[in-house]
Amino acid sequence: MRKQGFTILELLISIVLISVVLLLLLRVMMSLEVINHDTSYASDDEIGRTEMIQNIESDFLENHLNGIEITRNNDSTTIRFLMDEEKVLVINDASITYGDEAYTLKSSNARYDLCIDYEYMDLENDYYFVKLRIPVLIDGENTTTRDDLELTYLGLKNENTSYLESFSC
Amino acid sequence: MKRGFALLETIIVITFVTASLLLLYGTFTSMIDNSRKNILYDDATNIYKMYYLKEYLELNNLHSLEGEDIREITCDDFSFSSCSALMNTLSIEHLYLVRYGLKNYNQDNYASSFNEYLGSLANSDDYNYRLIGEFMIEGEYHYASIGVSAS
Repeated sequence: MRKQGFTILELLISIVLISVVLLLLLRVMMSLEVINHDTSYASDDEIGRTEMIQNIESDFLENHLNGIEITRNNDSTTIRFLMDEEKVLVINDASITYGDEAYTLKSSNARYDLCIDYEYMDLENDYYFVKLRIPVLIDGENTTTRDDLELTYLGLKNENTSYLESFSC
Repeated sequence: MKRGFALLETIIVITFVTASLLLLYGTFTSMIDNSRKNILYDDATNIYKMYYLKEYLELNNLHSLEGEDIREITCDDFSFSSCSALMNTLSIEHLYLVRYGLKNYNQDNYASSFNEYLGSLANSDDYNYRLIGEFMIEGEYHYASIGVSAS
């Protein structure tokens, strides 16, 4: 009598082959999962972040940043940029207002940290460097600095220059 | 009469499915690579950092270092004492002054990530050199560059 269906050997070989294929597929899916996690903020808000950085840095360069004042409130942080044309940046949980422009986070799991990082450094020949970082929290954690709003400025001191040496919230 | 699949038929089908999945895998991998490059190359923050650094280094004789196709610049090349602290604050690990539009150079002397970044750059502007910063951020190399006109 002829055999019917699979033999145990055929079944074993098929299962092994299918397992190899599924392992390959799993590896692809895991790579995609990692990328999706890493860029969940970037994909939704990267354009807004870049626009903000460009607008603010352009103002620094055109209007000569001379100082920074930072005020931390309960539900917001206010940064006053002392320039030829003074501008104020207000950070709330879900949005940033800079001058009369407002940027609202689109990623539902992202929000701004009201506790910002500030660094000031004196350089030779009356130059100075200042760095301001507004962390972005994804699901309540700052898992990567890649999405943070980091502003920098390197300038020459003058009689109006007025910076905090440090800031702690 | 034979019923169900024969082993040969199963193997052929599995081989076909595997080949298709491998093709898909290749496509996804290249998409993932491109996505990573978008994140690692020329971030707005890093470009502004490079701009300010270039302006400051130009005041500290950056142009005297021109002449080679690729020159790795270190704080030993400058006399200002805050150089190392500034590089640390900027998260810059290596700094290169590269002739604009450079195509042929010995890639073995440089990290593959640097070679990939240099290969990805357009050369449509009118500069003599470009200052390339290699940033170490959270264990990954990020790159940004700014054009430098000769003195």
